[in-house]
Amino acid sequence: MKYRLKSIMSGLVVLFSFFVAVSFSVTPANAETTYQVATDSTFPPFEFANSHNKYVGIDIDLLHAIAKDQGFKVNIKPTSFNAAVQSVQSGQMDGVIAGMSITKEREATFDFSKAYFMSGVVMAAKPNGKITSLNQLRGKRVAVKTGTSGAQYAQSMHKKYGFRIVTFDESNDMYQDVLTGNSAACFEDSPVMKYAIRQGTKLKIYTKPALSGPYGFAVKKGHNQKLLRMFNNGLADLKANGEYARITKHYLGAKGSSDTTSDRTFIGLLKQNKGALLSGFKQTVWLTIVAIFFATLFGVIVGLLGVVPSKFCNGISTTLIYIFRGLPLLVLALFIYTGIPSLTGQKIPAFLAGIITLMFNEGAYIAAFVKGGINAVDDGQMEAARSLGLPFGKAMRRVILPQGIRIMVPSFINQFIITLKDTSILSIIGIIELTQTGKIIIARNLEGFKVWTIVAIIYLIVITLLTWLSNWVQRRVRL
Amino acid sequence: MNTKIKVKVSNLIKNFGDNKVLKGINMEVHDNEVVVVIGPSGSGKSTFLRNLNRLEAPTSGSIVIDDTDIADPKTDINKIRENIGMVFQHFNLFSNLSVSENIMLAPIELKKATKEEAAKQAKELLAQVGLESKYNATVQSLSGGQQQRVAIARALAMNPDVMLFDEPTSALDPEMVGDVLAVMKQLAKQGMTMIVVTHEMGFAKEVADRVVFVEDGNIQEQGTPDEIFNHPKDPRLQSFLDKVLNV
Ligand SMILES: Nc1ncnc2c1ncn2[C@@H]1O[C@H](COP(=O)(O)OP(=O)(O)O)[C@@H](O)[C@H]1O
Ligand SMILES: [Mg+2]
Repeated sequence: MKYRLKSIMSGLVVLFSFFVAVSFSVTPANAETTYQVATDSTFPPFEFANSHNKYVGIDIDLLHAIAKDQGFKVNIKPTSFNAAVQSVQSGQMDGVIAGMSITKEREATFDFSKAYFMSGVVMAAKPNGKITSLNQLRGKRVAVKTGTSGAQYAQSMHKKYGFRIVTFDESNDMYQDVLTGNSAACFEDSPVMKYAIRQGTKLKIYTKPALSGPYGFAVKKGHNQKLLRMFNNGLADLKANGEYARITKHYLGAKGSSDTTSDRTFIGLLKQNKGALLSGFKQTVWLTIVAIFFATLFGVIVGLLGVVPSKFCNGISTTLIYIFRGLPLLVLALFIYTGIPSLTGQKIPAFLAGIITLMFNEGAYIAAFVKGGINAVDDGQMEAARSLGLPFGKAMRRVILPQGIRIMVPSFINQFIITLKDTSILSIIGIIELTQTGKIIIARNLEGFKVWTIVAIIYLIVITLLTWLSNWVQRRVRL
Repeated sequence: MNTKIKVKVSNLIKNFGDNKVLKGINMEVHDNEVVVVIGPSGSGKSTFLRNLNRLEAPTSGSIVIDDTDIADPKTDINKIRENIGMVFQHFNLFSNLSVSENIMLAPIELKKATKEEAAKQAKELLAQVGLESKYNATVQSLSGGQQQRVAIARALAMNPDVMLFDEPTSALDPEMVGDVLAVMKQLAKQGMTMIVVTHEMGFAKEVADRVVFVEDGNIQEQGTPDEIFNHPKDPRLQSFLDKVLNV
């Protein structure tokens, strides 16, 4: 056994050194002419994988044409928008072209090329015509994609028009949310929306492009200035020789977006995002409290079902624990939020879906240790109680549970802390809790490290408070 | 000897899956009688006792206590158990409760007594087993011998008319055995009907009205202490006694 572990470990070490060696030897070899440029994985029509799984789009075609015109080589790497932006900031990549709006905020950390595209935000809704203007959004939900101009636009308009905002990481999830009726409309960049509709998305554009703004190619501030110059020169050449028009026409065209603020210290970031962080924090705490309540209820009931003298109840308990402990939290959340509505036709609010998810998942773990805690009480205790004539329920309540709970308390505290942390996974269904708030802020200002530090500290503070509270309760009830 | 039959066991069979543990036990216990059950380990003595208050359900046969067949599923077993006290080898005191709470739990929960009555009774029972000073003590602070005496007091709190003892002194250090046996002798003197599984042959000789030898799921021989210890007939009983008396 020991020997096998050792050989697996050494295998891993060899594999790892192989990767390190490959990545070190490949990069410098072509360094003089090949630039590494990051892009978004899905942002049609600017970048997306075509049916041959090859990356194409306005950004991709433009960059290749410019490279050819200027005589340099380029290697385009698709990843998520946030990761693309951060990889340039960290110096792993030379530039980013990803339908990226030129904003004052971003100019604090990036040098942008001349604008190569003008975009604008439009509102799209279901084509049945129930929602046709911003005025009809009062009291409704509007879907946006994290960090897009559409999200900024929604943020600036939601007070005036009285709608609520729900955010998604992927455009597709956002469209789906409108299509299922969870949201009344979405805000999207007009070329993106047009392209999606042409691709078969059953939505309709109802407004003129607003917040028109420029897209730019970006490099890390003060770095890769030669690449930036070549991009600008090439762009001018393409515009002059008609190649630019040909490429944009090939994918269709449209117009742009922006944002401000510039204090990039921790204090500055905290100040600018105070409101967002506070509401994200509140949402996380609220989710945690409600989830703990229902998960405990569910867990205790299912746990008790596992110890009552009935094979049928025991079977139910075991099955529930098996299913909900076995499912990844993420899958369970998506299943409940998007799967249940497509089965029942009834939409389900994200918060409710989140609570149900946590109730089942955390509840299953609670049920398991409730069952385990009770089973850990010596059988002789139950026999002695029953031999006195106490019925099962009374014996359970007066003798077994008090001893079992004492065994369970540390597991409960542990599970409460896990529940708090697991609320972050619910960002996937658009609940703007602390983690999602962090993602949104970063997508806008790109200060990943600082914002995640702030978010991490907030989590640690809440966990510390929760631990203190648990210990205090534990002392109070003399367990 | 009183002729009223308190417990009547007829053709009691108990199987655990394929393991036939009790193979057809017949036994009568009269009011005020003390029956001591002896036999080698694994012969089914505990299983027999546990069938008498239905901690194990009999596979077949009947157990009639005071005219009620407890093997009948319609019988309210909780009511029957109130009248049958049981003392376990490992005491099984409720570790979440104090000494007095252990004794008072069942009378209060089953509405046999008010809190005040139960407390008064607990004091008397603790005095009876020589532990009046331990009224408020935790279970964990007691020695094994003290725990077993509290367990006897707990069982007596329901005023049972039969007491079952399953090797009550087997888990005790030798110096504590005497105190527990003394309490049991006193109980016998007061006329309690008792069925006692034990390896304490001295106790059997002195206190038992009848000694029953169980081996291999059957009663092989029974009789007065004099008959069993001084004139054993069954060769298995003879060899069992050779072993236990010549340690
Ligand atoms: N709950 C049970 N499940 C299965 N087998 C059992 C159970 N209780 C006792 N037995 C078996 O019954 C036999 C008799 O055990 P027991 O009545 O404890 O004997 P004794 O008390 O005479 O030593 C043993 O073989 C034991 O393994
Ligand atoms: Mg035994």
